[in-house]
Amino acid sequence: MGTERIKKNRRTFFKTSAALISGTLLYSLMKPFEGLAQTKEEDIQEDKTNFPLWGMGVDLESCIGCGKCAEACKIENNVPIEPFYFRTWVEQYTVKNNGEVKIESPNGGIGGLKQSVPDEEIFKSFMVPKLCNHCTKAPCVQACPVGATFISPDGVVLVDETYCIGCSYCIQACPYGARYMNPVTKVADKCTFCYHRISKGLQPACVEVCPTDARIFGNLKDKKSDLVKFLQNNPTQVLKPHLNTHSRVFYNGLSSEVK
Amino acid sequence: MEEHYQHLYEALTQVDGYIYPNEIDLHWGLMIVLYPYITGLVAGAFILASLERVFNIKALKPTYGLALLTALAFLFVATLPLVSHLQHPFRSYEIFMTPNPTSAMAIFGFVYLWYLMVVLLLEIWFDYRRDFVIWSKTSTGFKKIFYKLITLGINETDEKSAKLDDKLGYFVTVLGIPSAFLLHGYVGFIFGSIKANPWWSTVLMPVIFLFSAMVSGIALVMLVYMVVSWVRKVKIDMLCLDTIAKYLFYILIIDFTLESLDQIHRLYEAEESFDIIKVLVGGKLNITLIYMQVIFGTIIPLSIIGFFQIYKPSEKIRKIAYFFIGIIVLIGIFFMRWNVVIGGQLFSKSLSGFTSFKAVYSGMEGYLMSAVWLILPLLILTFLLWLMPPWKKVSTHE
Amino acid sequence: MPKIIFRLLLSFIVFVTVFVLIQQYLTPNSFGKYGHYRADAIDDNKMRTSYYKGEESCVTCHQDVYDLKSEDVHDRVRCESCHFPKIAGSVDCEVMPPKVEGTLEFCAQCHAINLGRLKKGVPQLDFKEHKGDQNCIECHNVHAPWELKE
Repeated sequence: MGTERIKKNRRTFFKTSAALISGTLLYSLMKPFEGLAQTKEEDIQEDKTNFPLWGMGVDLESCIGCGKCAEACKIENNVPIEPFYFRTWVEQYTVKNNGEVKIESPNGGIGGLKQSVPDEEIFKSFMVPKLCNHCTKAPCVQACPVGATFISPDGVVLVDETYCIGCSYCIQACPYGARYMNPVTKVADKCTFCYHRISKGLQPACVEVCPTDARIFGNLKDKKSDLVKFLQNNPTQVLKPHLNTHSRVFYNGLSSEVK
Repeated sequence: MEEHYQHLYEALTQVDGYIYPNEIDLHWGLMIVLYPYITGLVAGAFILASLERVFNIKALKPTYGLALLTALAFLFVATLPLVSHLQHPFRSYEIFMTPNPTSAMAIFGFVYLWYLMVVLLLEIWFDYRRDFVIWSKTSTGFKKIFYKLITLGINETDEKSAKLDDKLGYFVTVLGIPSAFLLHGYVGFIFGSIKANPWWSTVLMPVIFLFSAMVSGIALVMLVYMVVSWVRKVKIDMLCLDTIAKYLFYILIIDFTLESLDQIHRLYEAEESFDIIKVLVGGKLNITLIYMQVIFGTIIPLSIIGFFQIYKPSEKIRKIAYFFIGIIVLIGIFFMRWNVVIGGQLFSKSLSGFTSFKAVYSGMEGYLMSAVWLILPLLILTFLLWLMPPWKKVSTHE
Repeated sequence: MPKIIFRLLLSFIVFVTVFVLIQQYLTPNSFGKYGHYRADAIDDNKMRTSYYKGEESCVTCHQDVYDLKSEDVHDRVRCESCHFPKIAGSVDCEVMPPKVEGTLEFCAQCHAINLGRLKKGVPQLDFKEHKGDQNCIECHNVHAPWELKE
């Protein structure tokens, strides 16, 4: 008789605890979906049409490789001065008469690119500024294990400095070598299209200082913007199209030697 | 910081060809070579144990418990090189809180937890439960407290409970095989899914990682079995040892075939990245790939064990040969990880140049640290073997 | 259900529950608002300090220089291309005027001869051939380069 009472108490105990636990479990599983259910859908739809879609055009027929863009970027964004960290840099391609291609970017082009090959040997030479391509299908965003790098609603790939764990997976995933590990903040870092400037209506620092207007920044959704006109009037290409990153940095005059 | 810059300035002088300016420093070093190596040992040791439990290869019975405990010892250490490599290790909990569903790396936390708790610990528990109950009655001190706690209050030792333990353990092992594949396969996928890096980006990467993991795990258990038997001064079961070597042989053949297939495919198609990769393999990776991984770590063991399948020399010679083979296979697979991780970062994504890797001895990414991470599991294994010796088990599964 | 399975299943469920609860607690509030990231990070990125002010800001005080520049070939070179906005840590141009050292090296950044600069509308010279080691600004007015001083 006593054992029956004990059994009944034990049964009630298990029943109540099972109920409590499954209730808590259900509630906590519901909570993330709660946020989803309400107005998120409508909010996003509405906002998405209002957000710009940022992009950049690079006119290789104008770039003289002065390196001012790389220098200004370092100043504006507090990038360490040392020649190992660049949010943007300029490459010099020298195609020799014998077909050999020499590529160089000493200190990212800061100080102006100088020709190291004698003129007689040169077939052609040109300069190529490089930066983060802010890919619409960014492999770096896909790779980040915690969600510390992301594409903002206006199309800029950004890094959450307080969230990045510093695993360097995004740096490995970027096909363009645009990312680096910031030695001071110890998080992944890269060109942000000067997000703090463009959100205030200013131009990115590199665009601001370019003396030949080789960099054109704008809103791809704005049909009247310089960028859209640039795309319309020139045959533009993106880097490494075979990787299907849907890059939003468009080059005019991209020669096949460009890596 | 100054030292770091000094090292980078030196690296700048060593650049060969053109690299993107940000690529001067290798971001994944020795720690990231170690992590797949250690999880590979875990997966491989477990597969060997499952060969006995699920596929009923009875000759392997003496190594069943040993293989499980080896896997457990190495699994305990597996996360450590990874977390120590992070720039912000204290934020590593974020991988559990907000794992990115598109990132292969995000699986890590969950697969590790699952494998540790649901597969390994459970299987060992089911296998040893009855022994824990019996041992708790006959031992004293720390061991007695441990055994009493670990039984979780389930103290039956009758036939019925033994059969249930057996069935459940079998079920967990069966579940464990795809889990082991996932544990190490996802590491291969981490590399294989990076389209930016042509040395890593191949469909075969997860499979190659898996089979090389199995090779290393089997070699490890073979070595551990030999060493433990020598320490305990017991006779080695030669049938068991020969069977382990036989499976090592089979899986090494598959592993070698897969890796050769990858290289032959690259050679044949000779697409854009081939030119720089050819220079990489012939130059910076020449010693670690051609000599250490292929010749030393694959061809020589294959030849020796292959020879043994035709003509079996005396027991003494075989023992020495197996010991030697165990070591060179372990070294060879270590270099396989090295060639993938370090090799993939030595050449630029511009496919036009190389940077250099400077080995350091001290510091978080140095040789000394790697030695610690490799010796620590062996110490843990010694402790586990003292705590739960497989040879003192009263009951074993069917 | 045998005791063993019941207890194990129970501990598993308890573990998952506790895990989910901790997850709710530790995930940042704005996480997931726009996507798999902390939405507040967008504002964090917007909050950074800006150093380059843009040409309009310079023109408010230096209209005369701007007008001079607009008449000559440096018209499309904006002020801050040459005048760094941050001198010795200060961005206040009244405290630290962004004076530029008009050295040969400085002008050579854009004007040194380099076959890669051909036909891009920027005059290139071999500086040594041109005037030896003389500084450019000894003859050229920087803001109106074709207004020679001699």
